[in-house]
Amino acid sequence: MNLATRARRTFKIGWTAAWVWSLYKVPAFGRRITGRPPRPESELSPTHARAANHILALALDLRGVMIKMCQAVATRSDMFPKEFIERLKQCHDAVPPKPFDVVRSVVEQELGKPLDAVFADFDEQPIASASLAQVHRAKLHDGREVAVKVQYPDIEDIMHTDLANMRRVCRIYEYFDPQPLALLPLLTELTTHLSYELDFVREADCAERVRDLFADDEHVKIPEMIREWSSTRVLVMELVSGMKITDKDALVAAGLDPANVLQDLMHIYVRMILAAGFFQADPHPGNLFVTPAGEVVVLDFGLSKELPDGFGLGLFELMFSLMTFNEQAMLRAFDELGFRSKSGDNSTFLAIARRMIDRSDTGSFEGEFTEDMTDELFEAIREDPVAEVPTDFVLVARVFSLLSGIGHTLGSRANVLQAMSGAPAS
Amino acid sequence: MSTAELEDRTSFSAVELLSSGDYDEPLIANGVRCHGGFDADGRYRSPRTLHRGPAIAAWQSRLADEGGALIELSPGLMPPQYPNVAQAKLLLQNGVRDPVVRALTIISIVEGFGAMIRDVQVPDLGEIFVEPIEGTALAHLEKGLFEAHARDESGYRDEGGHKQMWEAARDAALENPKIPGDVLMRLMGRRGRGGRPEPAFPEIGPELERMLGFMANVLVVEVFAEGTFQWGIDVLSDPAVSAAPDVAGGMVRNIQADEKPHVEYLRAALSEARARTIRTVDGKTIAGQQVVDGLLHRILRQMTKTRPNDQREDVREGLVEAMKAASNPARLLEEFDALDQDWTPPGKTGFEPAQDAA
Ligand SMILES: Nc1ncnc2c1ncn2[C@@H]1O[C@H](COP(=O)(O)OP(=O)(O)O)[C@@H](O)[C@H]1O
Ligand SMILES: [Fe+2]
Ligand SMILES: [Fe+2]
Repeated sequence: MNLATRARRTFKIGWTAAWVWSLYKVPAFGRRITGRPPRPESELSPTHARAANHILALALDLRGVMIKMCQAVATRSDMFPKEFIERLKQCHDAVPPKPFDVVRSVVEQELGKPLDAVFADFDEQPIASASLAQVHRAKLHDGREVAVKVQYPDIEDIMHTDLANMRRVCRIYEYFDPQPLALLPLLTELTTHLSYELDFVREADCAERVRDLFADDEHVKIPEMIREWSSTRVLVMELVSGMKITDKDALVAAGLDPANVLQDLMHIYVRMILAAGFFQADPHPGNLFVTPAGEVVVLDFGLSKELPDGFGLGLFELMFSLMTFNEQAMLRAFDELGFRSKSGDNSTFLAIARRMIDRSDTGSFEGEFTEDMTDELFEAIREDPVAEVPTDFVLVARVFSLLSGIGHTLGSRANVLQAMSGAPAS
Repeated sequence: MSTAELEDRTSFSAVELLSSGDYDEPLIANGVRCHGGFDADGRYRSPRTLHRGPAIAAWQSRLADEGGALIELSPGLMPPQYPNVAQAKLLLQNGVRDPVVRALTIISIVEGFGAMIRDVQVPDLGEIFVEPIEGTALAHLEKGLFEAHARDESGYRDEGGHKQMWEAARDAALENPKIPGDVLMRLMGRRGRGGRPEPAFPEIGPELERMLGFMANVLVVEVFAEGTFQWGIDVLSDPAVSAAPDVAGGMVRNIQADEKPHVEYLRAALSEARARTIRTVDGKTIAGQQVVDGLLHRILRQMTKTRPNDQREDVREGLVEAMKAASNPARLLEEFDALDQDWTPPGKTGFEPAQDAA
């Protein structure tokens, strides 16, 4: 990356930060010098919306890491107002593909061989291009069809520049704001996640781990990793084909019941997260296919995560006690998971548990663990920020809300209790 | 069963079937407030039985008056516990705690899953059965019976249920042991090979089959649980291996007492269905006995043949690993195996379809 690009990115990030800051602080300053009280949270909605629009525009301009940052913010409804969440959620990777020469040179450099020494065929048009890499279809000399995920050449550099800039902005902000949001830890976590996603060797390890976990489950398919031709920046794997999991019409046309597909999907995630404590943390619809035989295909293990010892059981207890209306058991689960209230008493969590339970007005959740329930939790925590949320929980909550979104698209609901009991979809 | 006046009634409101009456002292299990409580004379009283107890007795006696038979499951069908009482004690005495902790934890979770019964869809049974159902257990499934059952198993609001009571018994007896990390894996693990169950009686429609099948399944689980309770009591109330023999053993006895109404209402309702005629989806009829027996037969076969073996295999897997902690694993395993009892499931379930029996 040249100096001009670096300077341009630095400038844009700094400028947007200053602008967002002024959106909040200029009116506040004006009120202070004219002796009026600060604006209540309820009147800030238009300001939040304007600020979020600025940030979104910046991300769509700079792409790469900035997009990931927005996506990370969009998952933190425990920290940011809903105007941010709604807007930044729409931040998707839709990057024009890089020219084939660029792809070829990365692959050849990584494998240390000319392209046709490894591949009998290599499609110049990618199947998909995202913020960190693009994927091409190819064929090995032994005839196997493969998908080749190729990392963009300067992405690591861009990432370091952007992260350093954002870290600087956060420091300045924390210095000036008397009650800052904890943005630095968020950034640190994002940095960790990005470094995971850029390490394709780790990704292949993770894919194989999950593949082993489901080795005996005929409802799940994880592509085989071809380690021989993979490196940190190139990942070669079995090519899989299927329908998009949210393509309800295609599922029905293939004779599959979308409700069963969704239930199988829920079982996969419940088993990874709660039972194995190791999971693919990115179940957005682009990463999930369904084969005509009804197997759920899970792709993209870039963001896979190991949970601390006992965390899966704690989550199980929290979800189980919520869905069985046991607020007292929820309190113990909150504690086991590392939720803490600053005062040390648990009345905050009792109130939260009751709010979550009261989400059911019918006296039954029918085994459903919905986005609404975690939304309720995060909203309660944001309103009354005496509580500390374990970051692993945030990641897991995001997974469940993505799954819930897929259910929504399929017009069906997964029975999480049934999935947790290990019973097949009926 | 307390007052003569109640015994004559066969219709109850949901509120009645869920009400507990007053206790002299609540049940506190290892610091956790649980359901149920104690009378002035110190006797444990199960939750939500103020009316539920007399109601079930009334439905059962009415069934008998009308010439219906009450379903009996042969005690010989009940598979033995593995590890058995002697084996569990041997492990604990040798410092090998994981298999027992794991077993107790799985029991507590499985109890909790009993709460799924509140989500069972109940079709319009008054339409489905040819004979009237007023004043039967069948008519009250949705009106309090399923909900009471669910609350007993997993607790409700500020009271713990069986799940929490088993946890308390475990934690008291074994002094807050560390829970093995693979508990949920073992619980959710086995799947994948088994496909989705085929309907056994397509003519009655999926909703009714699901409901009756679920009830038959739970009835078998509840009856077989008697073996689990005895095992729990024997192990946890032995001072040689339990740090709190009275508390832990007593807790399992309380759970055991609470299960009585579950077994009895399910027996009553399934027997009522068995004594009736079902309207099929294509406008014909089928004897309730054929359906209920068919479902019970299928479940009993599975629970007595495949299940015990799967469960043994599962336990066995973790066992060898856990024994590595012992001073002489090979000897311990030998001793352990010497305590094993042979068990072959009985050839018949007692609910064989008519053509098979002939
Ligand atoms: N093994 C594969 N077989 C077929 N298509 C694949 C395979 N791996 C990836 N893809 C396609 O490429 C897209 C991007 O791959 P992914 O691993 O999700 O990259 P990213 O981490 O950049 O999102 C996927 O959504 C999918 O459409
Ligand atoms: Fe129970
Ligand atoms: Fe029970």
